[in-house]
Amino acid sequence: MGVKIDPLKCNACMACELACGYHRDDAFALLSSCVVLYRAKDRKDYYGVMLKEEESLIIARPEGLEVNRIGAVDEGSSDKGDASAKPMLLREACDLCDDRDDGPLCQQMCPVGAIYQD
Amino acid sequence: MEFLSSDNVGVLDLATGEVSEDELAEDLVAEKIGGAAINAYLYEQHQDADPVVLGSGLLTGTLVPGTSLGLMSAKSPLTGALCHVPIVQYAGMELKYSGFDYLVLRGKAPEPSLVWIHDGIADVEPAGDLWGQDVWQTVDAIRSNMGDEMIQVLAVGPAAERGSSLAAVMNNFWPGADRFALGKALAERNIKAIAIRGMGLLEVAEDEDFVERCVELLAKVKEGAWAGKQGFADLAEAMGRPEAGGWLQPLIHRSRASFNVPFAYNSFAMIEGDPSVLTEPDIDEPGVLVSDPLGAMALQELGLGAAEAAGLLRDCAKDGLDAANLAALCQAQGKTDAAAISAALADIDGEVAAPSGPFSPWAPAQPLLADFGESGDAWWQRRQAVAYIMGLDPIFALMSPELSEEVLVEMAALGTELDITAETLDQAVSSLLG
Amino acid sequence: MDLYQPYTARNHGLALVPEPGDRAGGLAPWSGHPRIAVYTGGGSSHSWLWLVEIFERLGFWDLVFADEIDVARGALDQVQVLAVSGGDTFGMARALGPRGAAGLESFLRAGGLYLGSCAGAYLPLNSSKEPLNLFNWVPAKITNLSRHLPRARQMPQKFCTPYGCSYVFHPVREETVLEPTGLAPFGVGQSLRAPLYGGPAMIASGEVEVLATYQGFSERTRFLVDPELARQTLLGRAAVIRSRLGRGCLYLFGPHFEHPGYAEANRLVAEAIYHDLARTGWPGRQAAAAEVPRPLEPGVLRDLRRQVSNARVVALGLEDHPARWRIGRKLYEPAKFRVFCEALWQRLRSRRGALPLAGDPEAVEALTAAWRAIAEGLRALKRELALEQDTQARAEALFSAINRATADFMDIYFRNAYRRLTAPAPFRPDPAPGRRLPTGDRQRRQA
Ligand code: SF4
Ligand code: SF4
Repeated sequence: MGVKIDPLKCNACMACELACGYHRDDAFALLSSCVVLYRAKDRKDYYGVMLKEEESLIIARPEGLEVNRIGAVDEGSSDKGDASAKPMLLREACDLCDDRDDGPLCQQMCPVGAIYQD
Repeated sequence: MEFLSSDNVGVLDLATGEVSEDELAEDLVAEKIGGAAINAYLYEQHQDADPVVLGSGLLTGTLVPGTSLGLMSAKSPLTGALCHVPIVQYAGMELKYSGFDYLVLRGKAPEPSLVWIHDGIADVEPAGDLWGQDVWQTVDAIRSNMGDEMIQVLAVGPAAERGSSLAAVMNNFWPGADRFALGKALAERNIKAIAIRGMGLLEVAEDEDFVERCVELLAKVKEGAWAGKQGFADLAEAMGRPEAGGWLQPLIHRSRASFNVPFAYNSFAMIEGDPSVLTEPDIDEPGVLVSDPLGAMALQELGLGAAEAAGLLRDCAKDGLDAANLAALCQAQGKTDAAAISAALADIDGEVAAPSGPFSPWAPAQPLLADFGESGDAWWQRRQAVAYIMGLDPIFALMSPELSEEVLVEMAALGTELDITAETLDQAVSSLLG
Repeated sequence: MDLYQPYTARNHGLALVPEPGDRAGGLAPWSGHPRIAVYTGGGSSHSWLWLVEIFERLGFWDLVFADEIDVARGALDQVQVLAVSGGDTFGMARALGPRGAAGLESFLRAGGLYLGSCAGAYLPLNSSKEPLNLFNWVPAKITNLSRHLPRARQMPQKFCTPYGCSYVFHPVREETVLEPTGLAPFGVGQSLRAPLYGGPAMIASGEVEVLATYQGFSERTRFLVDPELARQTLLGRAAVIRSRLGRGCLYLFGPHFEHPGYAEANRLVAEAIYHDLARTGWPGRQAAAAEVPRPLEPGVLRDLRRQVSNARVVALGLEDHPARWRIGRKLYEPAKFRVFCEALWQRLRSRRGALPLAGDPEAVEALTAAWRAIAEGLRALKRELALEQDTQARAEALFSAINRATADFMDIYFRNAYRRLTAPAPFRPDPAPGRRLPTGDRQRRQA
C-alpha cells in the first residue's frame, strides 16, 4: 500500500527527498526525509532511491527493487553487513503523508512520474 | 533574514583563514533579491581584495521547480570584468544548505588550499598534497579524507595550475558551467578546491501556501513541450542540432537532472561497457557525464567521433579544461585529431573568445522547447539574469515560460514575506546588466 | 497543546527558589529545583539522550552526567535523582560493580530517587545472577523470561538475551498501550502509549506498587513472537512499578517513558519526580555556586562546532551503511553515530546571540580535542568499511568515545543552562534558540 518507485524512470532530481523533508520539518531540509536519492556512486552513473517504510527499507535501483525487511530473519548471515541492520535510525518511516488531503507530496513533486501508488 | 536563508554572510580571509560573519540583511534582500545580484553587491564591497563570491539564488533549494542554482562570481581572467558562473547539478543546493547564504573569499591563500564549507563553518585547509592531482583524484581524495561521498567539490585541475586560459572550475567529476576561466582565477589564489556539504534547514514564510503553489507550478511546468523528453539528444534537437543528438546517442547510458530540475539534460556517455546495461558497472570510470552540452557539440563540430569526443571530454574533466573553449582553439589551430589533441592537452592554450556579458554562455542562447514570445541576445541576457538572481537552473529557465518573472516574484514574496515586486526584480536585473 | 510548558514554567520558577538552608536531619521536604544525574556509563546505549531531551523540554536543567567512575567516586551524593535508561543490563551491572552498587544503595537509602527504564528497569530487580545480584532491591519478577526460546518472527538479534539457562525475550517492539492503575502520581487517567524496546513486563510482590499495566497494542506495535504469546506475556502485567528502599524510591518503567515522541509518558516522568522528591527530601546537596558564566571567545566555540560538524558529515554519510557491531550484548548500527552527533549539534546551533556554552574555555577546548579525534576516527572507519576491513575494534572505541564526549558536552551545556537560569537578571539567557535543524519534528505537530 506504500508509494512505489520506478528506478528506470527516476532522473535523480531529489525533488521527492526535498518534498518529504518538507513533510517532516515544515521547512525545506533533507535530513529527515524517508525517501532518499542514493547518489554516492556518481562516477559510475549509478543511482537509485531508498524508501524507509515501517518494516522495510526499499531500494529502487536499476537492477530492480530490493526489499529489505528491517530486522527480518536473515539466514546464515554474519553479524556484519546483512540486511537486518537498522539503517536511517533518525528518519521516521513513510506515513504516506497522512496529514495531506492530496496524498504523498513526493509523488506530486516527482517531475517524471517515477513515484506512484498502485 | 528569517526565511529561505541561513541568515549568514561569511567573509573568509584566504590569507589568514579568519572568518567574519554577518546577518543577511532583509533590506538587502528586499532590494537585490539574491543570487548574482547580491554576489555582485558583495563583490563591490570587497573589491579591494579581488574576491571570489559564492552565493545562491533566493529560491535555490526550494520546491519551486528548477531551483538548483548556486553562483561563483569573480573577475574573469578572460574578460577582466565581473562574471557569474553557475554552480549546477547538486552543488548549488548543497551550498544553499551549507549554513552560508553568501561567502566572500578575500585575497590569496599562502599555500595550496582547500576551502571546506559545512554547517556555517568555512575553513581554509592546506592542500599541498592535492596540488598537481587531476580533478578526479582531487574529488576522490577530498571525499575519502572528509568521509562522505555526498560532499560537493568544485575543483580545479592541472590546467588551472599551469595558468591555462581554458581552465574551468569543475563540478565534482564533471564539467561545470565555467566559460570564464574561473578555474585559473581560483588557482591564482592557491585554491585547489572548494568542498561543500549542506545539512541545514530553510524556513519558509507561509509554508503551506508556498508548497501548494509549488505543486501547482510543477503541474503547469509538466505541460511544457519538454515533458517526455530528456537528455543530450532531445536538447540538441531542441536547439536545431538533431545530428549532434544522433551522434552521441549510441553512447548514452542514462540522463540525470540537476537538483529539482524536471528536465534531465545531463547525459552519461558510456565509453567502456554497454550503455544499455543499467546495472552497476564493474569498472570505476566507465564514461563521462555530458553536463556541458555545448562543449560536446563543439567537439562534434570538430569532426570527432562520438567515442573520441567522450574520451576527450573525460580527459578535459580530469584536467579541468573547458571543452567548448578547447574545441574553439583546436578549430582555429586546425587540430582535429582526437588522440593528438588528448596527448597535447597541456600545451593547448591561447586566446579564446570572451563571453560578451556577465553570464556564462554554457546555457544555449535560445528558447528551448518553449515559446517565450521573444528570443535574441537581450532576451537571453535578461532571462539568465532572472535565473541567476532567483536560483533557477539556467538551462531549464530556457524551457519553462511557466516560471515567468511574475511567478518567480510571487514565490519570492510569498516565501519571504518581503515586499519583492516586479520593480524590485527589474532593478536587480538592471544592476547586473547595467 | 504543549504538554511540557507548565513543567518548564514550574521548574524554572523552582530554580529561583533559594536553597533551603539547614534542613534538620535532611528530612525536610524538598521544594527546590532537583538535581538529576543521568547515567551514561558502561552498558548504557544512546537512549540516555532521550532523557536529556525530555528533561530539557520539561525544564529540569540541573542535569549532571555520571558514568560508573563518577558513581564510584560519590557523584550521587550531589544529586536527588538518578535516571538510567536503556542499554545492556549486564554491561551496566558489570561496569558499576560492587562499589557502584554500594554507592547506589546508599543514595537510595538516604532518600534518592531512581528512575530506570528498559535496562535501567531490569537492573534493580531481584536476581540470582552475578553481577545483577548486587542490585537486588525490588521484589518483582519479569514475565518475559522463558526456559525455551519461542520462535522469532522478526529481528532475531533484538529478540532475546540469554539469562542463565533461560532467555529474556522481547515479545514486541515499538508502541505499546498502557493503562494507569489509579495510584499516585499517575492517578486514574486515560490509557497512554510508550514504546517498548526490550524492557520488562513485571509481576510485583511485597509492597511494590503497580502504577501502570500493559493494556494492549497499536498499529505501530511490531510483534517479535507469535501475537498470542505476546498477549500472554504482556497484557495485564505491570509496565511501571514503584518500590521503596530506605528513604528512597525506585520507579521502574518497562517501556521508554522518556522517549521524546511520547509527551504524555514524558509528563508522568516529571510527575514521578515531583511526587517522590516531595516525600523523601534529600540532605546531600551542596549549595550551587552562584557564578555568572562568562561568554566564551567566539573562536573557542567555533572550533568545537567545526569538529562536531566534521563528525556529523561522516555520520550522516554512514547512516544507511549496513554494517553492524556487537558490543557487549547489544548490536550497534552506524546510524547510531548520527544520533549522538545530532544531539550535540542541536545544542550548538546558535551561531550568534545566546551562546550555548560559556565559562570554562579549557573544558571546551578538551571537548574540541575529543571531537576532533572522533571525526578523524569516523573518517577512518568509513575508509575501512569501504575496504571491507575488520572494523570491530575501531567501532567499539568510537562508540565509547562519542558517548563520553557527548556526556562531557551535556555536562557543560546544562551547567551553563542552569547557571544562566539562576543568574541575576542581566545575565538571564536569551531565549532565542537559534535556527532550527532538520529533526523531523514538525512545527505544526509541536504547536
Ligand atoms: S509519501 Fe510522504 S512520507 Fe512517504 S516518502 Fe513520500 S513524502 Fe515521505
Ligand atoms: S522526484 Fe522522481 S525523478 Fe526525482 S529523484 Fe525522486 S523519484 Fe527520482
